[in-house]
Amino acid sequence: MSAVAATPNLKKNYLTGLKEALSEEMQRNPHMLIHGEDVGILGGAFGVTEGLQERFGKDRVVDMPISESAIIGTAVGMALNGMTVVAEMQFIDFISCGFDQIVNNMATYSYRTAGEVNLPIVVRGPAGAYGGGALYHSQMNEAWFCNSPGLQVIVPSTPSDAKGLLKAAIRSGNPTIFYEIKQFYRMREIEEILPEGDLLVPLGKAAVRRDGSDVTFVTYGNNVIHCLKAAEELQEQGISAEVIDLRSLVPLDEETIFQSLAKTNRLVVVNEAPMTCGFAGEVIARVCDKAFEYLDAPPLRVTRLDTPVPWVKPLEDYVLPSVEKIVHAALRVVRF
Amino acid sequence: MSATSAPAQSNPSADDAEQKKLPHELLSKEDCLEIFRQLFLARYFDVRLIKEKKRGSLKGTLYSSHNQEAVLVGTLYGLRPNDWISPIHRDMPAFFLKDIKFQWRNADRMGLSIDSICAQVYGRVDSPGRARDNWSHIGSRAKHIIHSTSMLAGTIPVAAGVLYADRMAGGDAVAVTYNGEGSTAQGVFHEAINYAAVHKLPLITVIENNQWAYGTPAELEYSLEDFARRADGYGIPGWVADGQDVFDVYDKMMQAIEYARSGKGPSIIECKTFRAYGHGDHDDDRAAKYRPKEEVERGRARDPIAMCRRRLLELGYLSEDQAKLFMAEGKNAMETTNEDFPPEVVEFLSEGIEFAKKSPLPAAEEGAKWVFGGEA
Repeated sequence: MSAVAATPNLKKNYLTGLKEALSEEMQRNPHMLIHGEDVGILGGAFGVTEGLQERFGKDRVVDMPISESAIIGTAVGMALNGMTVVAEMQFIDFISCGFDQIVNNMATYSYRTAGEVNLPIVVRGPAGAYGGGALYHSQMNEAWFCNSPGLQVIVPSTPSDAKGLLKAAIRSGNPTIFYEIKQFYRMREIEEILPEGDLLVPLGKAAVRRDGSDVTFVTYGNNVIHCLKAAEELQEQGISAEVIDLRSLVPLDEETIFQSLAKTNRLVVVNEAPMTCGFAGEVIARVCDKAFEYLDAPPLRVTRLDTPVPWVKPLEDYVLPSVEKIVHAALRVVRF
Repeated sequence: MSATSAPAQSNPSADDAEQKKLPHELLSKEDCLEIFRQLFLARYFDVRLIKEKKRGSLKGTLYSSHNQEAVLVGTLYGLRPNDWISPIHRDMPAFFLKDIKFQWRNADRMGLSIDSICAQVYGRVDSPGRARDNWSHIGSRAKHIIHSTSMLAGTIPVAAGVLYADRMAGGDAVAVTYNGEGSTAQGVFHEAINYAAVHKLPLITVIENNQWAYGTPAELEYSLEDFARRADGYGIPGWVADGQDVFDVYDKMMQAIEYARSGKGPSIIECKTFRAYGHGDHDDDRAAKYRPKEEVERGRARDPIAMCRRRLLELGYLSEDQAKLFMAEGKNAMETTNEDFPPEVVEFLSEGIEFAKKSPLPAAEEGAKWVFGGEA
């Protein structure tokens, strides 16, 4: 008779990666504070901060009134006076209510004080569509902040990046807008074993998620999954797609994009934000500026239509990037 | 007087006054004369810069604090060096008046030097912000002065956050934010004071009610008689001060400081005053047209220097002869001469201006620097 021990599942999800990052940094830095709406007693609307108030106390994990300007503005003051702050937006959509404090106050502090004051603040929150969240629980508004000098803009797509990039952002000493993809929080298919120890993923370094030779997909967030699926489908047609996950929009790792294009000569940029003045256009402009000679076909972008994100599924599917739309774009650039 | 459940019009009653001396009555003669000198310092800063601009030595808009000096001097005088302040555009003298008491030229004091303020006004590299943003958009973490932006009321949450961190570190600082009545209509004004009230932070919100928000009169800005009543909505005390009377401002401020330092929380002080000229000097000519003449004359008639002078005479701190010297009150910038100000005031600012004129412009390539921290 033999007993087969159950193999313990050592894989962790994206949300656990975030939670570990926060608790490790809180442990490491006694001057760090977390605040936001419902982050304490409730542990966050999605549970990212669950257990932190019990562990670190009410003074360091603080439930805030529904006041995004005060959440950001007080974080600025705390950081001005020596603290490190992680501020949660309950949904990243709500960040617009704190917009002035972010773009005119927090983002510009280092610049207008000639470097006297650097603010170690991470503003983080659940982001992205594909879940039927409708207009105000689905946004990817990263372009607003990429267009506001002085902010780092980070979008992790794996559990280990969620952990390692959040820890690195907290320690960077600069204001950061950190987009957590809420569809990934508990997604089984992206669970992974997290590296042991003090996991830090450098900001400004893209990750090649799949090697390929015929076309390069440059993407981030939710669309990393779509690009990987599109690459599978293209493989069946004999087309080899490389998938680059930017992870960090500001600072941007141009070099990894250019190296890939030197090999594939074809580019499709995919993001779920609206097209006009979106980050996909920025990537293409930089490629045209600095790596035009690598291109054998006009670069394309697959983005949301220039619409809000609608609620019910047929409408949402219609306006967002999909595997099908990405495959279609890839075939266009390959067959150009 | 206890401010715990202070009603809006909680100015001290006659009974209280008999029982207990007002804070300004405890000031020494030396302190009172210093306060008088500081009113001249603020006024001279204003009139001298207007003259410099008219002479062509200075560019940029000037936001006059003329006629509102008692608010600044009266609120700043009772602070400790490590307290924080957050001045805005009409409070330019606050940057150097902070912690200036009896030590005008001490570079180590917890206020900015007159040299650095003049360098800022002139847009020179020796400004605290190396001339990267204009006029009052400066500050100093080291000196506990919060840097403002043009988005008014936007520094109130910053001050609240500073105080939260100070409390976490075991400190006992208070913070004072300066606001025109115009900025009280901003949403962030409410968000920040509400937060400070929830956490009982020692935040003192000074409202300089000068009756005009640029070109919009008070009756189109709010529907209250006394702004101090706004405090009721947050469960905090509010005081109304005569913003022309430096000693009344000082009295209300000392009550607010005592309340804050004893751990009871934030408060509001409304200082009723009057903007003597335009929103900025670019607006002086238009302001003379869009504001009723009688209203302007009435507002300027109660000059804070004159009111302080009368009080010092009553107290016997100025002799009749001394009180006839330095008659700056009631005059606009171009009507004044240096003889209208104490010589040490003229000398103090003149040195600052000479310093600024010699300070170089920043190197052009600095325009691309310090977007992020950590750059050398």
